Amino acid sequence: MASKVHQVTVWARGVVQDKEGRDIANGLARAAGQEGKFTQSFDNYVDLPDRVNVPLRKYARISDEEIEERYEYENLHPEVVIVADATIVKGIDVLRGMEKGGTLVVATDRRPEDILKFIPNRDLLGKIVCVDAKAICGDRTVDFSGSEGGVDSVGIGQGISAPILGALARGSELVKLDHLDAVVKNKDALHKGHEQAVVKTLN
Amino acid sequence: MAKEMMLSGCASSAQAAKMAKVEVISSYPIRPYTAIMMELSKMVANGELDAEFVHGEGEHGQLSIVLGAAAAGARALTGSSGVGVTYAFENYSPIAGGRIPLQMMIADRALDPPGDFGSEHTDAMSCRDQGWLMGWAETPQEAFDNCLINYRVGEDHRVLLPQFVCQDGYFVSHIPGPVSLPEQSQVDEFLPPYNLPHPLDPKRPVSHGPQIRPDQGTIMDIQRAQAMLDAPAVIREAIDDYNRIFGRKYAPFVEEYMTDDAEIAFFLMGAHTMTARHAVRHLRAKGVKIGLVKLRFVRPWPTEEVAQALSKFKAVGVVETSTSYGGAMRGGNLLHEVRASLYELPQRPLTTSFMAGLGGEMVSLEDFYHMTEVLSKAVREGKTKKTVYWVGFEAED
Repeated sequence: MASKVHQVTVWARGVVQDKEGRDIANGLARAAGQEGKFTQSFDNYVDLPDRVNVPLRKYARISDEEIEERYEYENLHPEVVIVADATIVKGIDVLRGMEKGGTLVVATDRRPEDILKFIPNRDLLGKIVCVDAKAICGDRTVDFSGSEGGVDSVGIGQGISAPILGALARGSELVKLDHLDAVVKNKDALHKGHEQAVVKTLN
Repeated sequence: MAKEMMLSGCASSAQAAKMAKVEVISSYPIRPYTAIMMELSKMVANGELDAEFVHGEGEHGQLSIVLGAAAAGARALTGSSGVGVTYAFENYSPIAGGRIPLQMMIADRALDPPGDFGSEHTDAMSCRDQGWLMGWAETPQEAFDNCLINYRVGEDHRVLLPQFVCQDGYFVSHIPGPVSLPEQSQVDEFLPPYNLPHPLDPKRPVSHGPQIRPDQGTIMDIQRAQAMLDAPAVIREAIDDYNRIFGRKYAPFVEEYMTDDAEIAFFLMGAHTMTARHAVRHLRAKGVKIGLVKLRFVRPWPTEEVAQALSKFKAVGVVETSTSYGGAMRGGNLLHEVRASLYELPQRPLTTSFMAGLGGEMVSLEDFYHMTEVLSKAVREGKTKKTVYWVGFEAED
């Protein structure tokens, strides 16, 4: 059988973070592709068309071999979950489907210990990474292009996706900072996210 | 140099339309095809594409707009999904009967009820007998290629037929895949400018679509039927040229995978062919003599090619992604045509249909393994128990 497909799920807020959420998934897939991995990234079809601030999901998949079941709707078993707006963890089981030992990356100004209080199934986690993405590059909606099967016309990683991707490289082996550096536009924010990320290993 | 990009089927289709230099585009929004129009409208607004972009008041209006434009001598493009496809139905016969070779891109979608936005081939398949060329893409790359191939074939004066260029909604239309975008010079070499024989022109008046007497009707039907009969030779030429100019390896009508010495085979079209191919590869590794035949054109239906490809198997599972309620096979549409294609053969394979991928349902490797067991059992017993299996919904097989 084919080798393992590593699944990464991104949670973001509708419309205002639609592109940033997608940039995280696309940036990760493209960076991993640079080291010869097979990748795919896609929006959750059911969450679209998105509504303002309504939670939505974006997916990336990385594998050493060709991904055989490309035509699916969701990542059922994410090993990394990224939350672009920390308040999402209060209402949604973001770790659903995760196997024990997974990683959670949260954009927040709080400490990992504070975020974990809102994660009832935190036992699943092997690691949590927090990064104050908004403090690094501000909070703004960069663009609306690329939604619903369209093409991104401004490039990946100009908003909070850049420091979040930096934090991901800090806390996960799935992607390397150098490869992200080649695809992310706001390189300063990417590197600051990598440096300032707070990583807490659990279990 | 070709440019490699990760594009959704919608985005690749828009790129193809741009490189085909479409002159009139008519839109009306409905998921999932909308992104094709979203991308094209951006191109027109940015000045990348010199085309008239007209927003219809609905799909019926959309088709009327491109009918007028193409009749007046403009390469025209429209598109839709699901109930949008069926809402425009009245226009399909006048366009084909009028021999106006415009193109409609369909990112398919299940028909109501209820409001399901998942992929299913039934929307376009319901329109298959109006005299339009029709086929499905498996990948965003094939969606791109099919746009250019269909314009070339449809606009050929030996054919002059409109084209439904279809892709599975979401699976192909929304999930990005690798697409090689050619040079404009390659496209220009492949696709000559649009040249309708008798366009509407105030300086040279002609009539299109007049009322006729009943005794004049049949001759027009014969001509439309003849155009479909003439299309295969033109498709062959176009595919040969396409493969040569763009470095692809398409078969014109049916593509075979691992069919050498195969005893059983899947027959299908569109997105799920990709997963089926992986399933076949894994099954081969386990010693199962299985292959796959992919259909590239539903219209014109390649009767001889289908018969030839399938005659060598003991059992064929037709994976249906559309419904024909109350039909002879009690399930989908393709098995009707597959069985009709095989009828004249002295030795026919066992055939059955697998209803899968309806309402946007995924078709997994496991589903294909399950279908394989049904086919293997049919070979062992020398018969199929049923003409239709609802994959995942059968109490026992």
